[in-house]
Amino acid sequence: MGDQTDWIPTPDEQSAPFFAGARDGKLMLQHCNACQRWLHPVRSRCPLCASTDLEWAKASGRGVVYSHGLLQRASHPRHEGRLPIVLAVIDLEEGVRFSSNLVEVEPERVRAGMPVEVAFEPVSEAALPVFRPVDPTFRREG
Amino acid sequence: MNGATAICGLGLTEMGRVYERTATDFAVEATLLALDDAGLEKADLDGLLINAGITQGIDLSLVAALGIPRLNVLTQMNAWGSSAGQMVGYAAMAVANGLANHVACVFADAPLVPGEATGKAYAGGRRRVRGGMGSLYPLYGYFGAIPFYAMSARRHMDLYGTTQDQLGAVAVQTRAWAEHSPRATKREPLTLDQYHASPWVVEPFHVLDCCLVSNGGVCIIVTTAERARSLRQPPVYVRGLAQAHQFDLARTELDSSTEGAGAVSARTAFAMADATLDDVTICELYDCYTYTVISTLEDYGFCKRGEGGPFVESGVLGPGGSLPTNTGGGELSAYYMWGMTPISEAVIQGRSQGGARQVEANDLILVTGNGGMFNHHATLLLSPTAS
Repeated sequence: MGDQTDWIPTPDEQSAPFFAGARDGKLMLQHCNACQRWLHPVRSRCPLCASTDLEWAKASGRGVVYSHGLLQRASHPRHEGRLPIVLAVIDLEEGVRFSSNLVEVEPERVRAGMPVEVAFEPVSEAALPVFRPVDPTFRREG
Repeated sequence: MNGATAICGLGLTEMGRVYERTATDFAVEATLLALDDAGLEKADLDGLLINAGITQGIDLSLVAALGIPRLNVLTQMNAWGSSAGQMVGYAAMAVANGLANHVACVFADAPLVPGEATGKAYAGGRRRVRGGMGSLYPLYGYFGAIPFYAMSARRHMDLYGTTQDQLGAVAVQTRAWAEHSPRATKREPLTLDQYHASPWVVEPFHVLDCCLVSNGGVCIIVTTAERARSLRQPPVYVRGLAQAHQFDLARTELDSSTEGAGAVSARTAFAMADATLDDVTICELYDCYTYTVISTLEDYGFCKRGEGGPFVESGVLGPGGSLPTNTGGGELSAYYMWGMTPISEAVIQGRSQGGARQVEANDLILVTGNGGMFNHHATLLLSPTAS
């Protein structure tokens, strides 16, 4: 996997508020002050209304599973000893789609449409936003 | 455009784990093979369209490598898996409008290196991870295209009840064609049980749901219908061509379970050819994954949305089926030359040169290309007859 910069979360200038928010337990996304839409991934200009008046704001952290898959091969040091890992694309309430992992869940019970909420997992000096089922009966001990 | 142009030349290099050759070298050989196939000289070539693969191993310097002193049409193109179909489309439009007489469309790539697993070639093993938001992806386990296509397939399964057996049915029937295809990398028979025993990559994808990775090159030469009739090979006429691209500006991945770019591209191409789905006798569909075939069949309307699983499970795709599909073994079992895989087999079938795998009724051959995450789509309708 090469040197560490290949595999630790590495904020750049544009994404620094996202990573700072994650360390504080907040899912931060860009919001367009001109058209009031939420944006993801990071942009310097709103692709919908072309405004550059963008601001980082705390997102709800709630959404539903758009789809999911089960990672069975480690492709990163974080995966070692943790497979299988649930990959999931989350449709956030803000209207954007966020690719992440599902945790604290039985993989075979995951379905498109399942309500989920954000949680944060420490990784190195950073924190990784992951999601878990809102319904506690779907959860298992992490 | 319907029948005004034709494919007159096809060049295929050796493919697969062929090492110590550059993409440029494959591209040059493929082009020379296609010229020879057509009965053309290098001096006849006045158009060149170039599509590099994942390693970006060829570019405009291919002109110098080929030793061509002048061209009327030249560009490098990329829309991933739909590039090849688009190149043939642009070439047809160029020759039909007198911009050039013979346009070569070239794809070549050499992502496989000795001692490295096939999966690494596209998984980002040699690519630097970006900083910023992009540095999150490897932590989650998103590498290359497999996770996203696997999740597209899973959504189809969740919404419509599509089964693992039905994904496997695509792999098994494609392999049944490959058994009769001398160029296919994987020719040993495949059972559904063997499919299920194949290792998981990202569920619901086994290794055998994913296309091969190949080193090699392909060249297709397009000319006018009239010119093609005087050349060495039986012309394969371009009856319809189209492309469509779709993006969701707010969301970053597309809902492949609703009408895709393929449906839009299909309408344009079939209208141009004055044809309907009922006229199609062979399908050469972009099969980067088993699920892509199911999704494409639905986009084109061969079955209703959500019914692609039972449709393929009924055995229509394989030898003897009512809709012979990916007759050379496709990208799943033969070779992965992006969109050139389906086009090259369509040319072979259109010329009736398929040998043991030749489909007798080759009147109208549907060829598709798919790029990105169902973002880019190209359609070609090819035929041994001009009208």
